[in-house]
Amino acid sequence: MNHVSTDIPRRDPAQVMRLSRLGSLHQCRLSFMRQLTRRMARENWTFTRTAFDIDENGVGHAVYTAQGPDHAYSLVAFAHDLPPEQRSDRVIAEAWDATFALFDGIPTEQDIQRLSENVPLQEAGRVSESELSLSRANRSVRLWTHVVDRLAAGQQPDLEQIYKVGYLMRTTAVYGSGKFGAADREKIANRPELNAPFQAEMLSVYLTRTFVRDLVQHVARTKGGAQTADLDPEIARWLGIGNSTGLGMAPFIVNHPVLFNNWIMAREEALARVRSLQTASEDEARQFRKIYDRSKLSMSWWRSEHPVQIEKLASLNADLAAISDYLEQNDLTVDKPWDRLIRWSETALGEEGQELLASLVLEPYGDLVDGITGCMADGNAQAQVINGGMTVEQVRTAIRDRFDWALDLDWSAEANCARAWYVSEEKLEPRLGERFEEPIVAYEQPLAPARDAALAYADLADWGSDNPIAEFLLRHPEHRHTIRRAQIGLIAPYGELRDNTISASVMPIDMLRAKLSFFGATHFDPRSDRWVRICMYAGAPYPENLNTSTADWWVYPELPQ
Amino acid sequence: MNVSLNEVEATAKRAARGAGYSWGLAEEAAKATRWLCAQGQNGTRALAQLLQLELTRAPAQHTPPNLSSEWQSDDQLCPLATGALLSDCALRLNSSPIEIRNVAVPELLLPFAANAARLLKTCVSLEYDQAVAETDGYDLSLTALIPNHAHQVLVRLGGQVNTPAPHRTRADPDPSDWDILNQFAHRTYAPATEESRLLGAGAGLSDND
Repeated sequence: MNHVSTDIPRRDPAQVMRLSRLGSLHQCRLSFMRQLTRRMARENWTFTRTAFDIDENGVGHAVYTAQGPDHAYSLVAFAHDLPPEQRSDRVIAEAWDATFALFDGIPTEQDIQRLSENVPLQEAGRVSESELSLSRANRSVRLWTHVVDRLAAGQQPDLEQIYKVGYLMRTTAVYGSGKFGAADREKIANRPELNAPFQAEMLSVYLTRTFVRDLVQHVARTKGGAQTADLDPEIARWLGIGNSTGLGMAPFIVNHPVLFNNWIMAREEALARVRSLQTASEDEARQFRKIYDRSKLSMSWWRSEHPVQIEKLASLNADLAAISDYLEQNDLTVDKPWDRLIRWSETALGEEGQELLASLVLEPYGDLVDGITGCMADGNAQAQVINGGMTVEQVRTAIRDRFDWALDLDWSAEANCARAWYVSEEKLEPRLGERFEEPIVAYEQPLAPARDAALAYADLADWGSDNPIAEFLLRHPEHRHTIRRAQIGLIAPYGELRDNTISASVMPIDMLRAKLSFFGATHFDPRSDRWVRICMYAGAPYPENLNTSTADWWVYPELPQ
Repeated sequence: MNVSLNEVEATAKRAARGAGYSWGLAEEAAKATRWLCAQGQNGTRALAQLLQLELTRAPAQHTPPNLSSEWQSDDQLCPLATGALLSDCALRLNSSPIEIRNVAVPELLLPFAANAARLLKTCVSLEYDQAVAETDGYDLSLTALIPNHAHQVLVRLGGQVNTPAPHRTRADPDPSDWDILNQFAHRTYAPATEESRLLGAGAGLSDND
């Protein structure tokens, strides 16, 4: 990370890494979708639809190619006729409305033939080193039907309905990084356009959105014939792509402590830089106020039926009212305006509102913070190698610094270890079970770093402070993963959750939201404590309208004039 | 079957865990198998051979009892436990070689020697009974095939990687080895029940909306 002088330090990991706060994160200008759209616009990427071979039943394939400065990437899409009873977002589903692969380059007929025999099968098929991602999507039945029926009748769809749902299809998995035979990340990590995290996956979803817009028009035309209306581009812009995500994503942030640290630290560094500004120009202050008003409009479209999120939205709405009052009464140009705002938020707002402001204050300062996006990937494989020469006392200190809150917990008390993470043999689905009610302990995954830290710390008590940790590890291989994490913690201050991931009250959706917010997702809609729907790319320009003036603030809807 | 190195790593981790290794050693097994495959070696066969020996039934018998300069036990050493120790003790190589006696599937020591080489920013050589391997942590050169068992392995600083094996971005595991790894991996998966199907993943609402 380049050094920019900051008077205000980054926030303390003990404050940031609580699950309730991570479960209140919002997208920001460092988010992976916005990084991608900015880059594609800056580099003048071109987009072509080279195949759209879909029949009157909506079945067939299409190819969309994005050409960057050095590489082309092609979404190969397959559209299917799915019986309604098979429409499931779960990983155990076996058929979908549409399936996709992101091909590295421009596919030949043979490639498309090969993919047509595998991609529709998803996990049951195989892709190759030429594919960068594998994904699938299901229709949002209500909105799909509404849009098709309206267009076929020669009318435009109702924007209010689009705002409420946000998308015509939602993806239910986007696999990358070598899954099911696809290319490993190492193949692409050194390409500038794919170095930042999840850029191939975000590109795949961006192209998927264009395909879905074209598909709904095609299906409407098949139904309506000559009277069919062309979908108004201004309405189409508010069609994003949904995503439906379960527990599979939650272990990711525990299993990738360096990567997750880099995401959080990038945002914290950006926030520290902005807070350290002594003054803001009239322009910057005006920009912030405008973005805030636009974000309020987006928030007004956010719906959820889940009691926890209903409560959070009520809190957010109260926060929005308080922020609006603050902005009316305060000058944002003098006296460390952004630091004042953040410090005020910590006394006056809930975590939803606090984190919204922490994201929004970055918006006027692309020049100051966007460079930090170059630090969000994890290129430090050596961090996984244990330093066996470290002393027992150094390791104890490393554990205490992150897990002091966990060392005195009674880890045998049922409430503190009520849950256990395991992998079901059914499509290898990650699940969260009840330790004291189900026979799952033998299958428990190492996803309780706090408990494991407490166990290792207790065993370390018997060892001499100056002994090398290698000696301890020779006797206690069961603590090896914990000692590795403790050492990683020394270079990754934001790599560790400061909460109990197996307590009776843990909310896995907090882990999901933390990750999805960095993708750039909006309108988090939990379906249970471990399942969430989101929206991606709503408001974004389609390829034909992507340019440097549309590439960045699309996530904030323009206010009606 | 042609598989990604990520698949090698994920399968190796589950397999080692399924065979009874701790999570930390399973992580080591995963990285080690991947490293061997990336170097064009048959890492999946090496791990499948090791796991079939079932050394985890009595781990202490297959682990060096202490850190004295010669590492041996009454029984053959496990290359994962011994390799992890080698990586952990990399700094000792600065002062003296490390001698390892009676070790199973000694090819699996190579990735750990590579850890040491990267850490110390120098070449590390391993003299097996009949073969010599040299690595700077990134490349590997071998004078002969490494046997399934070694009476003695001498690990020391020095040497150079003269004819590095070409790197691979994919692995082609022998189907029988891959099956063995997947059978061990299967031991880590909980049998699905109707209850866990509904509750464990938190679904249950209709998605046909």
